[in-house]
Amino acid sequence: MWTFLLKRILGSIPVVFGVAAIVFCLFNLVGGDPALLLVGKHATPERIASIRAELGLDQPLPKQFVQYLGQIVTFDFGRSYTTREDIRKKILDGLVPSISLTIPAFFLTTFFSLLIAMIVSFYRGRAIDRLSVAFFVFLMSMPGLAYILFGQYFLAARLGWAPISGYTAEWPDAIQYLKLPVLIYIFLNLGSDIRFYRNSLIEEVNQDYVRTARAKGTSEITIFLKHILKNAMIPVITYVVLEIPYLVLGSLLLESFFSIPGIGGMTVDAVANSDFPVLKAMTTVISLLYVFSTILMDVLYRIVDPRMSFK
Amino acid sequence: MSTQNRLVKKLLKKPIALFCLVVLAAYVVVAGIVFFTGFGSEWANPLAAAHLPPTFGSGYRLWFGTDVMGRSILLKLVQGVYVSINVGFGTAILSAPIGIILGLLAGYFGGWLDEVISWLMTTLSSIPGILLLIAISYALGKGLFAVYVALTSTSWIGLARILRGEVLKHRRMEYLIAAEAIGASHSSRLFRHILPNVFHQVVLSLSFMVEMGIRSEVLLSYLGLGVQNLPSWGKMIDDAKGELHNGVWWQLTAATVAMFFLLVSLNVFGDYLRDALDPKARY
Amino acid sequence: MEKILEVQNLQTSFFTESGEVRAVDGISFDLYKGKTVGIVGESGCGKSVTSLSIMRLIPSPPGKIVGGKILYAGKNLLDLSIGQMRKIRGNEISMIFQEPMTSLNPVFTIGNQLMEAILLHQDLSKSGARDKAVEMLKLVGIPSPEKRIQDYPHQLSGGMRQRVMIAMALSCNPQILVADEPTTALDVTIQAQILELLRELQEKVGMAIMLITHDLGVVAETAHEVVVMYAGKVVERATAEEIFKNPKHPYTQGLLNSIPVLSKDPTGKIKKTRLEPIPGIVPNLFDLPKGCRFQERCKYVEDRCRGVEPELRELVPGHWVRCVKAEAGDSAMAVTVSRG
Repeated sequence: MWTFLLKRILGSIPVVFGVAAIVFCLFNLVGGDPALLLVGKHATPERIASIRAELGLDQPLPKQFVQYLGQIVTFDFGRSYTTREDIRKKILDGLVPSISLTIPAFFLTTFFSLLIAMIVSFYRGRAIDRLSVAFFVFLMSMPGLAYILFGQYFLAARLGWAPISGYTAEWPDAIQYLKLPVLIYIFLNLGSDIRFYRNSLIEEVNQDYVRTARAKGTSEITIFLKHILKNAMIPVITYVVLEIPYLVLGSLLLESFFSIPGIGGMTVDAVANSDFPVLKAMTTVISLLYVFSTILMDVLYRIVDPRMSFK
Repeated sequence: MSTQNRLVKKLLKKPIALFCLVVLAAYVVVAGIVFFTGFGSEWANPLAAAHLPPTFGSGYRLWFGTDVMGRSILLKLVQGVYVSINVGFGTAILSAPIGIILGLLAGYFGGWLDEVISWLMTTLSSIPGILLLIAISYALGKGLFAVYVALTSTSWIGLARILRGEVLKHRRMEYLIAAEAIGASHSSRLFRHILPNVFHQVVLSLSFMVEMGIRSEVLLSYLGLGVQNLPSWGKMIDDAKGELHNGVWWQLTAATVAMFFLLVSLNVFGDYLRDALDPKARY
Repeated sequence: MEKILEVQNLQTSFFTESGEVRAVDGISFDLYKGKTVGIVGESGCGKSVTSLSIMRLIPSPPGKIVGGKILYAGKNLLDLSIGQMRKIRGNEISMIFQEPMTSLNPVFTIGNQLMEAILLHQDLSKSGARDKAVEMLKLVGIPSPEKRIQDYPHQLSGGMRQRVMIAMALSCNPQILVADEPTTALDVTIQAQILELLRELQEKVGMAIMLITHDLGVVAETAHEVVVMYAGKVVERATAEEIFKNPKHPYTQGLLNSIPVLSKDPTGKIKKTRLEPIPGIVPNLFDLPKGCRFQERCKYVEDRCRGVEPELRELVPGHWVRCVKAEAGDSAMAVTVSRG
């Protein structure tokens, strides 16, 4: 397994390089002068020059790229332009608030979607299946923003079930602040998760081995919980692992609306402020995290599926 | 080709699918009217008092009320239809050929071409969608062009992957070997034998791409990127953000409902499409 | 000979968007202990549906057994509850399928899958079941069964997988084995091995086998009695010997004529006989012709055949045929089968 892992990591270097190249191009190359974007066209030339120096933009491009690669390796992305904080510190600080929202939300969503998907696919084709498919299609078709806004309005402002926004790292008070965003997160993701899990399960339902199991006299429930589930778990696991970067990123919108000082909210602020260093850092970090999780997924897949070996 | 005729016939039999198609067509027609006749181009003009609730009897423009500047929400909404349809379908129509060509090339020729295309696909999809959109918008500024580039540069990937997989699967299949045995040439093999089999993948992907385009556009314009000079639904929701607490619900509701019906119809129609295209004859 | 299963006028339909299709339209035959019945016919004639109907494995919706009786051990299988049926499946009546590749669950070991049936129907402990599983693998001729039992299906060859399927099916000593095209997906040499295995096991254990196939060669090897099906109906039924020596239905004759035969003429030269395929294709079950279902492909067809559907009649003791011309003892239909 370790040789496979090594090969896989080596194989992802071109991708990492590609990601860095694309991010670099977008931020340092293609975009308008970041310095201008930050201070506006009417700033004095000296101001602009000093910003450019600060951001390292006065260097020749290849050197900038090398500097950037260095930043990646050392995980030091400089300072946010607007708040002047060290970006690395900001990321690490924002990590806990972000995952304190996304991880519980993710677990709950996955739990409920698996449960519902299993029930619905067990009774596939019957009324309960059709109705719930329709229901979740409806659920998915509402813009996420609407859930957040209406949710905040009705459940927080009107009913007072939760505070409108805010966050604290203290437990158990944190639950008060997190329960509404977590609830909304679940609503946002339930539909698409259920759709995926249901499809994975139903894929298996028509397989020949199911017929063989029936011919042996196995009960429908055993067939479902033993035979089908184990096969369907394979795509599910890969799906779940790929969610990891998004869990770290936190929910951009939820953090922004509920004033949760996480990484997502930080990104939304950076967009509003055209905060070049922060945006660049965020994009880089999360992309690398994604590459890492694809490697993890490949390894897990091979562990879980007996048909796959480590080459 | 008879596959298309059969498909159309199958779909037309289902009333729900038909209904969704009608709804979709209605949206497209509205978008077309906006585009060709400039209907609603005066949306930016304040009409009446600000935050007027839906009023009937004073002209259709006030049916959905007014926003913070007294502008007609109905007109804004209609502009939003145009933006969404434009971006949704436009990016899908652009992305599809890219996905088809790159996917087929990668699968058919293999070798370094496949390596390069696969690398490109992996690299682009490693950057989480929203961040890439933000990055591209940052680079290209606001406006329709940036949105197009941002969306098109990523939405081709899904289709390309699927088609590449299909080609790789079909390459080994018997009938191609048979075609080779009778001396069919490279390109005729590719186009005649593989293309019809992947037709249904393309059709399915299209509905998904349109949906992604619409959603992404709304998100982008909400964040202040993307289309800013025209009221898109995302912008409307952004405007409506603060209104709700004052009991002003109509702008948010209008945009939400408009998006809801469009996406539901798209989704449901897409589902029926998938069922109708399923080669495993389902009863 | 002890009768173990009696199928009486079985009718199975599928209810599709385009209407009801009667895939099996009044099939009757019997199974005897220690004997094999071969059900032969082209794709789509209803033979697989027949086998699935006996096991009550017809996917429903859209399928449904709409008529007839299946008598086993004094009961009508169609009257049993699904729970009672489950006790019989894999236990008293077992089934093996055509595609050994996909018929086994890829994520469980073959040992696990073997033990599943054993633990379900027999009162053994886990280790007892494991021993029985190893014993079964030995029985079907798999080398090093104690090691193999931990293998996954993808680690076995096609022939071995089918042996595992057979082992699974026989693990609870069933009275009847339903084999749906068990050798179609296998190489010819492996085919012979599997058929030999089935024959041996039948002798050893005394079970009845219902063998579904489109291959007359397979039938000749293993069946004691043959049921020829066409478009959902039985068109001829007789002992294997009779069928091959004296086929009375034009379809059966056509099937026999379609087999290439190598033979030598009196001078020792190899006879070159022309392959005589049956023209046309099976009729669309939604659009059956009036009268005999074989009329559009039959070279002896006449007006009588287009009116009323002929009955299945016992023309010679033990030999049933559904054909008006055969009934009439038409000499024009004398066997023109070029058998070596």
